[in-house]
Amino acid sequence: MNQNTKSSNQNQLPPLRPGGRSGGPMNSRVNREKPKHAKETLGKLLRYIGKSKTLIILLISIMVLVTVADLAGPALQGAAIDTIRLVDGRVTVDLPAMTRYLALMGVLFVISASLSLVQGIVAAKLSQNTVYMLRNDLFRKISKLPIRYTDTHRHGDIMSRMTNDVENVSNAISQSIASLISSVLTLVGAFSMMLYYGWIMALIACVTIPITITLSSTLAKFMRKYFVDRQKLLGQLNGQVEEMVTSYKTVVAYGKEKQAIEDFAKCSEEYKTCSIRARVWGSIMGPCMNFLGNFQYVLIAAFGGFFVLHPVSFMRTLTIGNIQSMLQYSKKFTRPVNEIANQYASILTALAGAKRIFEIMDSADEVDDGCSELRISEINGNIRFEKIEFAYEKDEPVLKGLDLSVDAGKKIAIVGATGSGKTTIVNLLTRFYELDGGRITVDGVDITQLPKETLRKSIAIVLQDTVLFSDTIRNNIKYGRPDATDEEMKRAAALARADVFIERLPDGYDTVLAESGSNLSQGQRQLLSIARAVLADPKILILDEATSSVDTRTEMHIQQAMVALMRNRTSLIIAHRLSTIRDADQIVVIKNGRVSEAGNHEELLAAGGEYYTLYQNQFAGIST
Amino acid sequence: MRRIFHYLKPYTFLAIISPLLMIGEVFADLCLPKLMTVIVDCGISKSGDVSESALGSTVMRLLFGEGTYSSMQVIITFGVLMLVVVLIGGFFGVACAYTAAKASQSMGRDLRCDAYRSVMSLSIEQTDRFTTGSLVTRMTNDITMIVDFTEMLLRMLVRSPMFFIGGSIMLFSLDLSFSMVMLCALPVLAITLFVVLRRAIPLYSRVQTKLDRVNSVVQENVTGARVIKAYVREDHEGERFRQANGELRDTNYRVQKIMAWMHPVLMVVMNVSIIAIIYLGGWQIENVAGTGMTAGTIMAAITYVTQVLMSLMMVAGMFQSVSRALASVRRVGEVLDAKPVIRSGAVREGKDDVAVSFRQVSFRYPGATGEPVLHNIDLDIRRGETFAVIGATGSGKTSLVNLIPRFYDATEGEVLVDGVPVKKYDLEALRQKISFVMQKSELFSDTIADNIRVGKTDATQEELCRAAQTAQAEEFVSGFSDGYETYIAEKGASLSGGQKQRMSIARALVRKPEILILDDSTSALDLATEAKLRHALKKDLRNTTVIMIAQRIASVREADRIAVIENGTIRDCGSHDELMRCSETYRDIYESQMKNGGEQV
Repeated sequence: MNQNTKSSNQNQLPPLRPGGRSGGPMNSRVNREKPKHAKETLGKLLRYIGKSKTLIILLISIMVLVTVADLAGPALQGAAIDTIRLVDGRVTVDLPAMTRYLALMGVLFVISASLSLVQGIVAAKLSQNTVYMLRNDLFRKISKLPIRYTDTHRHGDIMSRMTNDVENVSNAISQSIASLISSVLTLVGAFSMMLYYGWIMALIACVTIPITITLSSTLAKFMRKYFVDRQKLLGQLNGQVEEMVTSYKTVVAYGKEKQAIEDFAKCSEEYKTCSIRARVWGSIMGPCMNFLGNFQYVLIAAFGGFFVLHPVSFMRTLTIGNIQSMLQYSKKFTRPVNEIANQYASILTALAGAKRIFEIMDSADEVDDGCSELRISEINGNIRFEKIEFAYEKDEPVLKGLDLSVDAGKKIAIVGATGSGKTTIVNLLTRFYELDGGRITVDGVDITQLPKETLRKSIAIVLQDTVLFSDTIRNNIKYGRPDATDEEMKRAAALARADVFIERLPDGYDTVLAESGSNLSQGQRQLLSIARAVLADPKILILDEATSSVDTRTEMHIQQAMVALMRNRTSLIIAHRLSTIRDADQIVVIKNGRVSEAGNHEELLAAGGEYYTLYQNQFAGIST
Repeated sequence: MRRIFHYLKPYTFLAIISPLLMIGEVFADLCLPKLMTVIVDCGISKSGDVSESALGSTVMRLLFGEGTYSSMQVIITFGVLMLVVVLIGGFFGVACAYTAAKASQSMGRDLRCDAYRSVMSLSIEQTDRFTTGSLVTRMTNDITMIVDFTEMLLRMLVRSPMFFIGGSIMLFSLDLSFSMVMLCALPVLAITLFVVLRRAIPLYSRVQTKLDRVNSVVQENVTGARVIKAYVREDHEGERFRQANGELRDTNYRVQKIMAWMHPVLMVVMNVSIIAIIYLGGWQIENVAGTGMTAGTIMAAITYVTQVLMSLMMVAGMFQSVSRALASVRRVGEVLDAKPVIRSGAVREGKDDVAVSFRQVSFRYPGATGEPVLHNIDLDIRRGETFAVIGATGSGKTSLVNLIPRFYDATEGEVLVDGVPVKKYDLEALRQKISFVMQKSELFSDTIADNIRVGKTDATQEELCRAAQTAQAEEFVSGFSDGYETYIAEKGASLSGGQKQRMSIARALVRKPEILILDDSTSALDLATEAKLRHALKKDLRNTTVIMIAQRIASVREADRIAVIENGTIRDCGSHDELMRCSETYRDIYESQMKNGGEQV
């Protein structure tokens, strides 16, 4: 298990809390795409697309047909125009022959157009399917990631991988991939047609290719630099807005609006400059390609013209029509290269996005290999922590050999100074984090042996930071047990003392909570979380500062109501407020990563140790 | 649309010069087929006889004088000419791209800054209504969309019509019958575009909605990961996501399927036109004497028809982005038009001894219905007083203090600071007097020092340390290897709740406020630390009016006065001893906390 934790560490992105500040105040983390990674990422992406084999094969075969039809077009067109001849200084035409060619062309084009319609639909299907799969897999992956991952990575960053990056990949697949395949096919086709007209001409046409490649790759290098910078700056802008808007109350309270605007303007200006540069470099590509294309055109015209007038023995005689067709092909020849140059930016974005997506895909899953067949109904709730060692970050141990045992049906309170590791115990018991040493058992079974589903279904927790979903109050309470009846749901709400305020709401239990539950007060949110935990009917209930924003009288009523409910169940309570914990069967004081004392309220007070000091402090204000 | 032009105004010169430069590029592009015709007709077909081509003969005469020219001479001369034209066109093209980018990006910067300024002037209730996510996308994605669209507009506005008109004129000049072909082709194409776009455009906004849905599911799953795992609801969430994702895919697929018709239809129309042109050309040669129709003419006509139809396609593409850009303009416009509900007054200084007073204040959250959160509050808080507020969950404690720095305005009645109604204050001056520590600490991804400096930008190191000491933050800050320069990532995710709260308090203290509001901001502190903090505050803030909300009796006990709030009204108000004597509610709260331990008093 240790090994697993370590290997997942290596897969992580740079950890939070970097040594100092680097760059601006909001240094967003944008990964620069490196070429060798690009190849690897491309491979993975292609494998993904490759999953829809039938569609791919269908698409490529249609593309081959369309390309062939497109290539035959100029040949027929050339032949049709060739029926116009100069005879004795007069222009004449062989109309029946021309009509034949034109009819052929018409048939060909209709076939080609219908095929390309099918091609468009198949390509859309392929790209949408691939993206759908990619999104689903990414989502499944995110839900399998250990909590450590979500705790140490910017949520905004994970979000943007799921949305922006997937979107970029999707655009590339639907536009670039299809046009790339057809470009390559056209290139091959055009070249073979040229070969057909004469290898010398084909050779001449090829002259421009090395120039094109050198030029475009040089340009691309410049483009990429500005392009990457631009994305990075855009990320920074994003980050600034997001941070300032989420902390808007603080910004307003301290009159920081002006400074925020200044910072933003600075970043915006940089972004502007960078975008202009990127655009200008990008716009140079077009004319360069255009020049090369026309250069090839002139070359073919010149040499073609030369060969028409001076037929050479090693090549078959060229007609004017041949040259016409070749000039058409020459255009077809440069277009794919152009196309690739045009798609460069979007392919680059897609690859950068794909890389970020695969970074998540490749990180280690939450470990879940327990195979104990213990059933939830069989769990009694005897919990033992044995010699627990744990550190969030290497060399900063939080728990150092903690021992603790909780008997089934008991109410245990954990107290200790801020940062002493109380919440960590919850994180370990629910296996949000894995131990570095020691073991935790539930009814004598090591929790690593239990399937996570069994373990977690037997526990209900109420967290310090309440999480509510933008759904109705009813569904939020039923979250832990969706099949509960409304009766049961209302009873749970009543027990958590949430019924009073819910019934006062115009829509009662059908009130839809706003984005961040902002239509409720902090304390009301906590009451809802408690109702949710109560309804889940767990064997083990964990309350981690669950009532910190609830007034003490309400809290007292909840506690009284819980007494009956928690008979035969184990509860673990973390709180600063001593009134919250005084009734516990056992109070455990945590200090320096260990249990420093344990006992009930009276025993601990009598002992005059750590707890006594805490207690004195709480009432210090009162007793003076 | 008018908005775009408004923002383009400062860059009028660039915005006008850019399309003009584009004319240069288009002109070059239109010249090319002419030059090619000469190469094909005179150079290749007639071995250098340029007599029939006006362009050919003029150019050759200018360069080489009268006489006959060899075919290679013609091909190479016109070849070089073509390349020169391409270069000139390219130069114009790049210059156009530069000016267009400069104009649109500068406009984008202005628009972005204005929109941001507008966001920064919004009232809290307005940011609540917009929601964070939507404000972020409006500020970034939507503005980027508008900028890209403007840039394209500047470049294409002239390009497409120029190609269209130029191509048509060239076609007319070649032969009238050819232009008839085009006239037939255009309506077919236009109808197709109309039908396709009419069906596709509404779907685009559907796609956006579906995408928002996918995003919101992801957002909830990332932020709520713990709860989802704790209740083992991964499968349920997965199902929810698959459904949203499936709908997105289906809608996207529908749009793309419709759009897929565009290209093939265009190809058919174009190729049928080409066939028609070749046939018409051939027919004329056969049947009309002395038409002057040549193979080169037909070739040129094909090129022009292609250009004209392509330019129409470009216009179609633009329609598509117009509808998207307009949606973005509307969304950004909503932000720009949002006038702050809470407006600044002009008064900078108060004069009264009463630091804060509430006169018959009632309050209901904007847009909320039902009972008001606060009813008829009357309250005076003297300067230098420590005033505590205690009360049940949801009784209106936070709402009460929110009215002082005007996060919200009272629905009825008046709130006064230093004897002046808060509505008459200059907002900045009002908020300058106050430090507000929130229930939920809001830290920035920045160093600890800079996070504290939010309270006072020019605070010296000494001031920082003092504030941190008073806030009981000094100890843990100096425990970090980088001390005050320690970087706090992701809004303080690496700090414990208590550490975050102490930093927020340090931030509030460093500005030495006249009024300090603590909204249940010590709830995550352990009791020992809280007691130390309370004593330090008492020592350091002798002249500061302190208004604190708390749950624990111990926290409020030493306050000069304590108000007990119940259902939005002040039930009782007085010192601890007074309340213990005459307030049943207060005694109840006291009992709930002192039960079993009350013997200490």
